[in-house]
Amino acid sequence: MSAAPSLEPSTDYVQTELLNGVNFLNKKVLAAGGDIEFKNFKKLKNGFKNGSCLNGHVLTSANDVNTKELQNGFTLQNDSKKTTDIPKQDHPISKTREIKESFEPPTLLVAALTQISFYILMFLGYLSQALFPPKIVKEKNRDGYPPLYDRFSAFYSRYVYRRVRDCWNYPICSVPGHEVVLKDRVTKDNGWTFEFTGSKTKCLNLASYNYLGFAEASGPCAEAAIASLYKHGISTGGTRQQFGTCELHDELERLTAKFLGVEDAITFGMGFATNALNIPTLLSPGCLVISDEKNHSSLIVGIKLPGATVKVFKHNDVTHLEQLLQEAIYYGQPGQPKGAFKPWKKIVIVVEGIYSMEGTVVRLPEIIALKKKYKAYLYLDEAHSIGAMGKHGKGVVDYFNCDPKDVDILMGTFTKSFGSAGGYIAGTKEFITYLREQSYASRYAWAMSPPLAAQIISVINILMGRDGTNEGQKRIEALARNTRYFRLRLEQMGVIIHGNEDSPVVPILVYLYSKICMMVRTLIKEKIATVGVGYPATPLTQGRIRICLSAGHTKEQLDYALDVIEKVADEIGIKYSRKTRDFTPIEYSKIKIYQDL
Amino acid sequence: MFSSIKNFISYWYFRYLLVTELYMVEKWERAMFHIILFVLLAIMYVFNTTVTLGLVRMIINSLTSNEDSKRTDYLIDPINVDNSKYDL
Ligand SMILES: Cc1ncc(COP(=O)(O)O)c(C=O)c1O
Repeated sequence: MSAAPSLEPSTDYVQTELLNGVNFLNKKVLAAGGDIEFKNFKKLKNGFKNGSCLNGHVLTSANDVNTKELQNGFTLQNDSKKTTDIPKQDHPISKTREIKESFEPPTLLVAALTQISFYILMFLGYLSQALFPPKIVKEKNRDGYPPLYDRFSAFYSRYVYRRVRDCWNYPICSVPGHEVVLKDRVTKDNGWTFEFTGSKTKCLNLASYNYLGFAEASGPCAEAAIASLYKHGISTGGTRQQFGTCELHDELERLTAKFLGVEDAITFGMGFATNALNIPTLLSPGCLVISDEKNHSSLIVGIKLPGATVKVFKHNDVTHLEQLLQEAIYYGQPGQPKGAFKPWKKIVIVVEGIYSMEGTVVRLPEIIALKKKYKAYLYLDEAHSIGAMGKHGKGVVDYFNCDPKDVDILMGTFTKSFGSAGGYIAGTKEFITYLREQSYASRYAWAMSPPLAAQIISVINILMGRDGTNEGQKRIEALARNTRYFRLRLEQMGVIIHGNEDSPVVPILVYLYSKICMMVRTLIKEKIATVGVGYPATPLTQGRIRICLSAGHTKEQLDYALDVIEKVADEIGIKYSRKTRDFTPIEYSKIKIYQDL
Repeated sequence: MFSSIKNFISYWYFRYLLVTELYMVEKWERAMFHIILFVLLAIMYVFNTTVTLGLVRMIINSLTSNEDSKRTDYLIDPINVDNSKYDL
């Protein structure tokens, strides 16, 4: 692509410095004769020579190393001394996005207290269980049978979770839009049973994944869904392969592919099943999956089904990912006879767009660069990011200005931003055709309900501006502004929040169970609905309140929520942050959102 | 004045309950925990004043073998030791 400067065959470190100053590990030694060795692995194994690897792909060549290849809006730059005299690139280095993420760890004291208090809780739980065994049906006359259920999880849900059960699984009786109506309930026996009081509370909804505010009971989307009911009913009564397809499905798939900028897409009636049932069609024993540590359980289920080998890399740690890739390519499949080398059939990297518990955003440009370099496939789950990120709401691919064609498998769900249900997989025509024929979900699962499809179609039309208004763009920008505003204000407040500054999922670290439940209870009393998350959904010492912002929230609503949160935070003492704070007042309308950049 | 002190104490008792997770357990469990904690501390006190102190004394004695250091009784009762015995 560009004039590759001749690099003398000497020992030179070729560093590819990517976005945000991440130095990759790929320091290579150019040995005489152009052979390339990894610095970390001195000896070449048989069958693995001259940088050739997997599937006959050439891992890298002297040429590759020196080519300043433009990938995804950023340039692989050679930082070595040799390259300083290269004439300026003819490719303009397009603007990259800086990733601002915060991960403030708790103080040692807080971490220790959390551990200790957890043991207190467990101790009291066991004590209580011993003194007052649960009044539940016991298995009788089953001597010799091992217990059917896991003892610990039964104990945990009865004697730890039960105490704070009133903070979770709240029944609601309205659309979960920017406001939600909760059905009030009381417990008289510490969470064993609940009674409805008959009253209802209208709360500000900071709990739903309603990022673009399309969960509405009225408006064009709801009308389209209702109209489709009269035409197609609530179900087509079959699987996609057997008479279950109607024209709405075809239109939805065409539209999804167009929206995402790829060749083709396939949709399913359930997001979880999209992951769990489609990943098995891609993998077989002998394949390697490199999966992020915080991946959603649907991905984990899907990865485990086909019996492929799984390696887990540290959350969002590109350096660790590269190390695993290098090791995988270098060592190949384990358990071979002595001296034999068998490469992996294929290597698939599985990541998510926005991690729903962490609020972090995947480092997509770097991962795409790695994937290209090591010829691995990339599976990107955009469940939370589709609609919620990017200039045009097209997910993290759009956010980072990457080419959607660089991601081999684009997966996402319609359950979040679109106010509907279901999932899609998008990619090349060939791949989607293969899925249509082979996927368990298209063979055996019921097709998506037509009203759901109609809702999604009208949402995508609005997002693409095909309805003749700029409503979609307005919502995308409102969400981005709300997100930045809320995060900045929380940072000023001094609570610890995790994640990317543009991610609409905002976890507030609270650490302790009691604080989670105290906070959720107080916020509900103040008419704000939030979600608390604790162990086992998070690591033991990282209980948190998760707030999901929406384009439907107004500044007044957010201000009210922030004031209440500040009050509660003071009261229960969760202002753990030790960062220096900037107290200049934030003006909502003047916040710079990434759409402007 | 009195009520403000009471408020202060009750607020910090509440914070104490929060950080020990006692906030979310039932009242009798809270009481139980405090009783057990108190009993444990009491046992530890007794243990320390008798066994540990005695052990420390023995170790000190065996480490320092000169005559003077055999004077161990002041560890028990520094006031009523019969000093004349050691002609100090
Ligand atoms: C990353 C990810 N993938 C898949 C799903 C499943 O989607 P659905 O709720 O539509 O089944 C979720 C849902 O929470 C998710 O967070």
